[in-house]
Amino acid sequence: MKKYLTIPTAVIAVGLLAAGCSDPTAGGGAEPGAEPGTGSADWPAQDTDLTGTTLTIWAAQNSNTAPDAVVEGFEELTGAEVEVVTIPDPYEQGVQTKVATGDKPDLAFWQPTGSMLTALNAPTNLQPLDGAPWVDSYSGDLADMTGILDDTRYAALITSPAVEGVYYNKEVFSEHGITETPTDWDSFLETARTLKSDGETPFFEMGGDRWATQWWVQVQLADAAADGLWDRVNTGEEKFTDPTILGAIETYQGLIEEGLFNEDIKTATFEDQADALLSGDAAMAVQVNSFFGQLQAKADTEELNEKIGFFPISPTGNVGTFIPDQSNALVAFKTGDADREAAARQLLAYWLGDGYADFVADRDTISLRDDVPTPDSVPQALLDVHASLGDSVGSMQALAVANPDLYLYLADMIQGTTTPDEVAQQTQDQFAQLARAQGIEGF
Amino acid sequence: MRDNVRHRAAHPARYLVPAFVVLGVFFFLPTVFNFVYSLTDWSSFKSEIAFVGLQNFQDLIASGTLLSSLRITLVYAVLVALFQNLFGLLLALLLERDTRINRFARVMFFIPVVMSALAAGYVFQAILKPDGAANAVLGALVGHPVTIPWLGDTTWTLVVVALVHSWKWMGLSMLIYLAGLKTISEDVLEAARLDGASAWTTFRDIRFPLLAPALTFNVATALLGSMNGFDIVQATTGGGPARTTELLNIFIFRTFGQGLFAQATTMSLVLFVVVVALAFPVIRTLRKREEVL
Repeated sequence: MKKYLTIPTAVIAVGLLAAGCSDPTAGGGAEPGAEPGTGSADWPAQDTDLTGTTLTIWAAQNSNTAPDAVVEGFEELTGAEVEVVTIPDPYEQGVQTKVATGDKPDLAFWQPTGSMLTALNAPTNLQPLDGAPWVDSYSGDLADMTGILDDTRYAALITSPAVEGVYYNKEVFSEHGITETPTDWDSFLETARTLKSDGETPFFEMGGDRWATQWWVQVQLADAAADGLWDRVNTGEEKFTDPTILGAIETYQGLIEEGLFNEDIKTATFEDQADALLSGDAAMAVQVNSFFGQLQAKADTEELNEKIGFFPISPTGNVGTFIPDQSNALVAFKTGDADREAAARQLLAYWLGDGYADFVADRDTISLRDDVPTPDSVPQALLDVHASLGDSVGSMQALAVANPDLYLYLADMIQGTTTPDEVAQQTQDQFAQLARAQGIEGF
Repeated sequence: MRDNVRHRAAHPARYLVPAFVVLGVFFFLPTVFNFVYSLTDWSSFKSEIAFVGLQNFQDLIASGTLLSSLRITLVYAVLVALFQNLFGLLLALLLERDTRINRFARVMFFIPVVMSALAAGYVFQAILKPDGAANAVLGALVGHPVTIPWLGDTTWTLVVVALVHSWKWMGLSMLIYLAGLKTISEDVLEAARLDGASAWTTFRDIRFPLLAPALTFNVATALLGSMNGFDIVQATTGGGPARTTELLNIFIFRTFGQGLFAQATTMSLVLFVVVVALAFPVIRTLRKREEVL
């Protein structure tokens, strides 16, 4: 009897082994580089009838209500049904895992940076959005700022990309006679030291929740980034362990050791950081737009306009570092169903077309189109963030080919278990590992 | 002989096929694939999957993170095995008699076992925050504010999460020890009493040795189960502070999330091998203790 069972089991195993080694997303002959039958970029009119079509949008816990107004308008206009599915946090990991196993939505919120588009294997999995009808109506340089990988547009930017910079408490500043915001790194630190000598906590960092630690290093790299730092890192010519990046890490640690940060830096959370800035317990925090979202959850526009300001910072001036995130953009997937793919493009065209005014009003957010006004109720700090985009430079996430866990290694350093040298080395090792997995030369 | 034939006719071997198909598809096959994918460069970045031999193993050993995660996982597993059995045994001895209060208490201590591990983890995360309930209670006791970062210490947090894990599962150990205690014959205990043995002597020389099968089961399941631990630690610390509680499974989860599927698979293979390598000697040693019975 034993014999009976071992033979079929072995046959099944060997058969599946032989068939097994292929990526489920590679089906349908969609080789990267080759132009597949689906995903060609013709753009249906925004009001084309879609009765009977159901589209799925994947969204994260902090972006799942964003499509509400657009979905309602689109369903009414076209008869399509749009379903917004929330993928639990950590969102990016969840989406990558699902896509790896062949599960794809029609549209998804996604960080429109090169490294994250690569992580989704954009040439194979995503519809190219070249020739999209909305591209020409973006204000300023927004059209070419992000969402593009190897000269192909894959992501549609819907909201103002996040910028790393300094959020500060205006009341604390004026209490200590500081009337002008710092104009470069040195005056920034001078301001902090003045506040410290007056008994304030100049900076607040959330070492417990970890992910914001990297902003401190990245804003120091703004000048180098403008000078092609990440291009050199991408080819292996320059490393995280070289003086530029390592120096920024060392400076960060030096400031912590100097006592310019909150005492509970090791355990403080994102929420603590927002509370501290709003109450004036701390004067400044280097953060991104989602931090302001947290402040908005705690206070109304009037209070925020009164208390919270924003200025970008870089070594020699006030240059911001932009870092588009998942809530800023959408990507459209190649699902293999040409009609649904076209419908997905149609929804994007409507979102950034006739539906955009409703979207902006519903979300109370900054308009990316000159012909659609930004609502008056948008807080001043957010307008300042948006204004800084014009001359901002790309962050590591925006310009490097891979996105190593720099924040995690920095958090280790804050806990006191690693040195800046080790942080740089660990980041470089992981960067090289990710670059090698992508098949990039030089790694 | 005729009985045997009739028996076979009523239970033909083909009836086993569904069970083996399920076993093959959901248990055997994934394990085989685990081996295969660890030899490839499968990632989210490209569609082709190529064999790369032992490259993944070499990288992992070279980086050192694997070894540190493995060490943390082993320490965690040993701590959990120790605490969970200690608590379980104490509870079983305490609640051994079948009184109404004891029955109620057993149910209460068993509730964490059926609770969602993530829920338990998040509850403890809230309790153990610097401004959480644990410090508030301590503060009330000592009379001044206490702000111990229970989950923020790079040395002791691992012990704290092992205690949380043990808390969640001690009800199960208690139940098994209780069942073991029930099987001990009254006659033996009565004989011991007549010989004038104290309660401690009775426990040390008679009851504990007779609990050997329960101990085998409890230690093996606690040790090997916590080697595969993920949920409680993820919910309480997420691997922090400074990755001092980063169990191998959390490391695997993180690597997989970066799109490095082959590397993650390699790590899970390493975990599988370590668990197997640990399981056999541990279970054999514990079974040896039972031979005296």
